Amino acid sequence: MSALLSERRCVSIVILLLIVGLVLSTFGLQFADLGGAFSPMFFPRIVLGMLLVLAALNLVLDATTPSPDNPIQLRPVLLIGVSLMAYVLLLVPLGYFISSVMLGIVVLLALGLRQPLQIMLIPVVAAGAIVVLFNHVMKMPLPTSPFTWWI
Amino acid sequence: MIQSIPEALNLILTVEGLLVLSIGTMLGIILGALPGIGSTVAVAMILPFTLTMSQAPAILLLLAIYAGSVYGGSISAILINTPGTPQSAATCLDGYPMAQRGEAGQALGWATVASVIGGMTSAIVLILAAPQLAAFALNFGPIETFALILLGLTCIVSVSEGSLLKGLIAGFLGIFLSTVGGDPITGEARFTFGQFQLIAGFNLLAVVIGVFALSEVLTRAASLSQDEQSLIEFNGMVLPRLSQWKGRLRGLFKSVVIGNGIGILPGTGAATAAFISYAEARRSAPTRSNFGKGEPDGLIASESANNAVTGGALVPTMALGIPGDAITAVMLATLTLHGVTPGVRLMTDNPVLMAAIFSGFFVINIMLLPLGMLVSRLAAPILRIREAYMLVMICLLCTVGVYFVRGNPFDLLVMAIAGIIGFILRRHGYPMAPLVIGMVLGPTLEISLRQGLIITDGSFAAFFVGHPIAVVLVLAAIGMLCLPLLRALKHR
Repeated sequence: MSALLSERRCVSIVILLLIVGLVLSTFGLQFADLGGAFSPMFFPRIVLGMLLVLAALNLVLDATTPSPDNPIQLRPVLLIGVSLMAYVLLLVPLGYFISSVMLGIVVLLALGLRQPLQIMLIPVVAAGAIVVLFNHVMKMPLPTSPFTWWI
Repeated sequence: MIQSIPEALNLILTVEGLLVLSIGTMLGIILGALPGIGSTVAVAMILPFTLTMSQAPAILLLLAIYAGSVYGGSISAILINTPGTPQSAATCLDGYPMAQRGEAGQALGWATVASVIGGMTSAIVLILAAPQLAAFALNFGPIETFALILLGLTCIVSVSEGSLLKGLIAGFLGIFLSTVGGDPITGEARFTFGQFQLIAGFNLLAVVIGVFALSEVLTRAASLSQDEQSLIEFNGMVLPRLSQWKGRLRGLFKSVVIGNGIGILPGTGAATAAFISYAEARRSAPTRSNFGKGEPDGLIASESANNAVTGGALVPTMALGIPGDAITAVMLATLTLHGVTPGVRLMTDNPVLMAAIFSGFFVINIMLLPLGMLVSRLAAPILRIREAYMLVMICLLCTVGVYFVRGNPFDLLVMAIAGIIGFILRRHGYPMAPLVIGMVLGPTLEISLRQGLIITDGSFAAFFVGHPIAVVLVLAAIGMLCLPLLRALKHR
């Protein structure tokens, strides 16, 4: 990414654009015309107005000051982020145990673990312990898998 | 409220009550000892599991985790030179050198006794000060409440580490998020964009867990090292003898006063208190030349002050509904999730519950001594656990926690998105505590402002005529906002 469009500046631009979009959306929404403090948009418009000013100032500040060099290990973050999203979407259809084991394996691999026994055992034990505790001891059922009723 | 204490003690001093307090304190000590988890993440992680409990045990469990975790941070600070919580950073300065000298047990002994004394005095301050403040606040109408919440929001200034501007953006984002869903006056849906799941608004717990716990997982994954921690030899805690306290009581008293005073100020926090207290002890103690080389006075200063903050911070939270920092914001969220409305009427409407909370807090601090001795031996080997395993457990527990609140998969999605956005924002210097403070205080701010304007026929100028308390509170809020600017000017 060029120095002009650093990651920090991109985040500031996205925040500003998001707020502009939200401000514009307040004018497109239809409500009963009660006016003043009765209007459902009265308070959000004040908040969004303040946010707009702050986000614009923030962008100016970020654009005029050099971005600090803050390198990170992007691969594990991307892998964990994507697997987290997949996990919450698959939790109900696949059940807690199966989806949690899958998430655990991906997280451990993303964090650099390479011993197959550990990678398999830790998620199975952790997710299994949680399932036993909640489903069978505390009787607070977690989503179960379509393949087996007990996990 | 004081009259309700006997009734409250009957509630606490039962097998169930004492079990809740002991388990919570032990869990808090262990979670606090694990570097990087911290008090806020610990409380946020356990919060959902309290939802099936009744009000008093649930809140006491979280208070026990809070107090336990603040103390627990000192274990890793002393044994591996890594503060388990930011509050224990000052403890490393003298705790670790003592441990290197082979005095880990003694260092933990000093830290434990100082923590217990700090925590107990703060519980007394809480019991005495909070009802007075709450009684005064009973005269508040919507206009005073609006001014009070405005003052509460100014603590965003002090919890915005790094950039005030980014802190304010996070705070206003939090307030905006609280407006999503049904309008509190007309009931019409706002910013739902056709998503029926958003009509009830964002689940506060899902957002809190996402921005604190999950974003922490991503942050730590981004900078993970595979090194295992080396652990100093530790064969159990050694409590200081009475004769060893000679000449140290004055310093202890000073640190406790500093901790309580700073705790009551919104947004200052235990880490600040510990460092101010440490600096003061280093300036005035007769042993000042030994500070930084393993001096017990340094340990006493930091540990008594950071534990004294816990009760102090709860004074404005419980009496006025103003959270001073991220953790008290999570506490307020807990009250809300348990059907208790935080605010100026909290003590009048729930005297037994509040008495149970306050006296339970005192009992928790007494329990820190025996449980600290027991758990520190157990917690020491846990510090060797690989960080990657811990991160997997955090992910799995967070999911269970959020799922159990409403059994709604949409909340899980909100949690995951909040975690990812929280990670991106934190990486670029946007603090997350203001976002949660905004989300917690936003609804009261909105309703009090709109009610106030309806009362005054829409005139904001008439808002403060005949409302001197509101004027004072708004002036205080302006003062709090201007303070960092004045400080910056002074530095130039």
